[in-house]
Amino acid sequence: MAAVTRTEASGYAGRYAQRRWTVIPGTYLVAIVAVGLTVVPLLLVVVNGFRTNGDINNSAAGLPHPWVAGNYTSILKSASFWEFLGNSALISVVATTLTLVLGSMAALALSQYEFRGREFCYTVFVSGLLFPIGVGALPLYLLLQRLGLLDNQFGVAIPEAAFGLPITMIILRPFLRAIPGELREAALVDGASRFRFFVQILLPLAKPALVTVGLLAFVTSWNQYFVPLLVLQTSSHFTLPLGTYTFQTQYSQNVAGIFAFTAMSMLPALGAFVFAERYLVAGAAGAVKG
Amino acid sequence: MSRNTAIEAGLGPAATENSVAAGPLRAPRWRSQKLRKRAELTILLAPGLILFVGFVFIPILIAAYYSFFNWSGYGPLNDPIGFKNYSYAFKDPAFIHAIEHTLILTVASVVIQGPLSIAIALLLNRRFFGRGFLRTVIFAPYVLPPAVTGVMWSLILQPSGFMDQVLKSLGLGGLVQLWLANVHLTLWTNFVVLTWQYIGFGIVLLLAGLQGVPNELKEAAAIDGASPWQVTRRITLPLLAPTIRIWGFITVVGSLQIFDIVWILTAGGPAGSSSTISTYMYSEGVQATDFGFAAAVAVILFVFCFVFAIFYQRYALSRDTRGALTRAVG
Amino acid sequence: MRSSRALAAVAIAVTTVTAAAACSSGGSSSTGSSTTGGSSTSSSGKVTLTWWNNATNQPLLGVYQNAIKGFEASHPNITITDVPIQNELLQDTKIPLALEGNNPPNIYQQWGGGVLAQQVTSGKVDDITSDVSSWISGISGASGWTADGKQYGVPVDLHVVGFWYRKDIFAKVGISVPTTLAQLESDDAKLRAAGYAPIAVGSKDRWPDAFWWEYFALRDCPQSTITSAIKSQSFGDSCFTQASTDMAAFLKTNPFQTGFLGTSSQQGAGSSAGLVASGKAAMELQGDWDPSVMEGVSTNKDLSTELGWFPFPQTPGSAGSQTAVLGGGDGFSCTGTQAQAQACAEFLQYLDSPTVQDQIVGPGASGEPVISSAVSAITLPATQTAAAYFKTASYEQLYFDTALETKPGQNLDTAIANYFSSPTSSLAAAIANSPTTP
Repeated sequence: MAAVTRTEASGYAGRYAQRRWTVIPGTYLVAIVAVGLTVVPLLLVVVNGFRTNGDINNSAAGLPHPWVAGNYTSILKSASFWEFLGNSALISVVATTLTLVLGSMAALALSQYEFRGREFCYTVFVSGLLFPIGVGALPLYLLLQRLGLLDNQFGVAIPEAAFGLPITMIILRPFLRAIPGELREAALVDGASRFRFFVQILLPLAKPALVTVGLLAFVTSWNQYFVPLLVLQTSSHFTLPLGTYTFQTQYSQNVAGIFAFTAMSMLPALGAFVFAERYLVAGAAGAVKG
Repeated sequence: MSRNTAIEAGLGPAATENSVAAGPLRAPRWRSQKLRKRAELTILLAPGLILFVGFVFIPILIAAYYSFFNWSGYGPLNDPIGFKNYSYAFKDPAFIHAIEHTLILTVASVVIQGPLSIAIALLLNRRFFGRGFLRTVIFAPYVLPPAVTGVMWSLILQPSGFMDQVLKSLGLGGLVQLWLANVHLTLWTNFVVLTWQYIGFGIVLLLAGLQGVPNELKEAAAIDGASPWQVTRRITLPLLAPTIRIWGFITVVGSLQIFDIVWILTAGGPAGSSSTISTYMYSEGVQATDFGFAAAVAVILFVFCFVFAIFYQRYALSRDTRGALTRAVG
Repeated sequence: MRSSRALAAVAIAVTTVTAAAACSSGGSSSTGSSTTGGSSTSSSGKVTLTWWNNATNQPLLGVYQNAIKGFEASHPNITITDVPIQNELLQDTKIPLALEGNNPPNIYQQWGGGVLAQQVTSGKVDDITSDVSSWISGISGASGWTADGKQYGVPVDLHVVGFWYRKDIFAKVGISVPTTLAQLESDDAKLRAAGYAPIAVGSKDRWPDAFWWEYFALRDCPQSTITSAIKSQSFGDSCFTQASTDMAAFLKTNPFQTGFLGTSSQQGAGSSAGLVASGKAAMELQGDWDPSVMEGVSTNKDLSTELGWFPFPQTPGSAGSQTAVLGGGDGFSCTGTQAQAQACAEFLQYLDSPTVQDQIVGPGASGEPVISSAVSAITLPATQTAAAYFKTASYEQLYFDTALETKPGQNLDTAIANYFSSPTSSLAAAIANSPTTP
């Protein structure tokens, strides 16, 4: 079947020798098919941004005839695109930070301490995931109005962080719990305080989970249109998803413009993923020994 | 008591330390340790809890309160009708169909996306040329806003659109269907698009979980003569199981609530053939300005999810608290 | 143990505070400087108003902005802020939320009918009957913006639903504009034989289907029956059953494009508007916004000359009016203090004045004007035909789903759309049952 060879690993993964398995050809085929299916629609978005509306209307598939950079350049030149980008960036960074910090704190509390009502607290968090947000729109709107948070980027970021907490808890708590208690014991015997143990040992061990959670929070916030819709009035405060609505007239859509806009909006979120990806697989494995 | 059981009982390091120390210093030191522990706990937990309760939990409770009224969303709440919104929903065949469709989508998501995600995650965990690029590509659909995904796939799937053109050029013209109009197909069309959008997230989550599978174990097994498949089946998968269970939970809850893509692709139609509980709630509640009814449907959806969550917590996720494999190995 | 009690105390405190905050909406009057919705009246007599409308793009955006400039020039103590919002977001989400909150926009988009009546129950919509009494009688269709006999809004343009057709395709196939239903059916047969989809319909959105049934109802039912049916929200009268039967018979002639159930009405080239614009279909029953939609989804530069309009065909011998039209319009309502309402009414009067009306229906291409003098400003020939016919119509009926309250209206649309999808079900029974609410 598969030949097994021992090779010395290089690069970030290797404090120990990593096996390189000879990959069965069938898996490469599956990979290609999967990638193809994934990529083609994405390419459509990018490529369609280079077409005119009329071109798209004439044939849904097909290469641009002619290639027009106009959609992309007009977006890059428009001040509002950069405004939207800035707003989205500010909101997403704030929301992600809040989610990560508060979420990991709460996950630490619910995984490293025993107390009565712990499972109840966890259930409260989880229950937030089980209710469709849309229906809570009106009470949320009234609350934000009361707090003076309407038409304000923080009025968007704070609820987004709150909405992101349930899934953060669901992912983080089991990860934190799976880390063996012996580690904590060892650290404390060595004289470390609980706080130092959390920050210097536990959280770094949970890095893949933290990165996943952070990525999720960022992407969710980046693509959110519901909360910004609720909160924002002045168009200069709008985020990118709301900005796509500027391509919709009262009656129709500038489809090419929407595609170009979307292709550009995807870049930061994809960039965040590329950046985070290296941490997803960085050497957590080595430290978790018995 | 032994160290291990003390820790597992959650008494914290204090108890174990104090089982070693002795003498009159024990009582006051123990109490201040406890106070300190409580303070730490409060500091850690309170901010997140307050944020969540204030901005999510309370609005949900208030919305649930609306469900007991006949209320259009305008004006005061002056027409309480008890459980009538709920009974109307369950008597509506359209709602029952929506529940059926939602359950079909949910089961399909777990049964089809599960093995697929695991397989691809295992594949992407190996080192090979272009791995980082592949991972980015697989994740990319998740980054697209569902609204744009819907618009894009509408273009692809419209009659004589991209999909049909590709099929014809491959000589598979006989497979051409009215993807978005054929009432027997619309639910499955939605499923394919949903899979396209969300599978990347599952793969990333499983990849994160795979990092917790130590390579030494796999190597040791290989040295002992295990084949790659055996290593996968007996070591990798069981260690990945906690992550798979998390994935399962998120997928089921997400599928039960699915709205955006279905709404844009088919608006739950034609004739309700692809409706989900959330699209039903939107068309019969929000669009019809019957917010009391919308709230009632939301509460029903919540109860479904909650019941699932309780059972899942008890039988699936609780296995994690009994100690993962690594603890026993250590 | 104790820590969880502390937590519980915190939670309860938070609960009480936020619940109190969230529940006591609208009770207190939050003073002006909030950034939402409406604005304030300062003591110096200056009035500032926010204006929520759906003119997010040109040309209407420019028309509205010019209107503001012109009005402010002649009314130096009034300032208006233009806030354009995408149409569906405005209608489904922003307006209902704002009307529930503390500070709704002072001038906001209003489509009239039963929805207006529902909004009035919020207590936030101003009664401007006295503010407009001196000029409202000259405004066509103004009665659609009343509730309980009081004026709660004013229209600024009107729309009429009819057939938009490709004159060039008709000429090629050798058919003429049908005046009766039977002629329409025979025209359809010839078009299909020539390889065209005779009629395009955007069934995915449901309301285009409703136009069909409602026109059959207009032809088969006397006006009084329709008015009382809408008022009582019940379509049990036998003439509606007749309408259902007639529509069913028409649908059996297979007049629509392939896959019409999944076709949207306005999105992209595959929409029903796009199909007519690209010449794949020959006609569509739609409102007079259709030319604007078509322009947005096609490269066809000759559309303005190729497009024509004819009214819904007659059905000789039936009980309803043969020249009634279905339609609606765009208008605005006012909220706020009395001073703001007065300023709002003055602005609406300005929007209904000849200079602005000419702009709205001319360059703005937004349907028909509310004053007859502005009809000559319409540029598109097909729309001119529609406007001319509109003048001669016996009466205009507001689209049923706007005339009814929202929920019965939506139920009606759904019942009709379901029938389009499975013509074996009983349309008449579904419609008779549809407006019922729990």
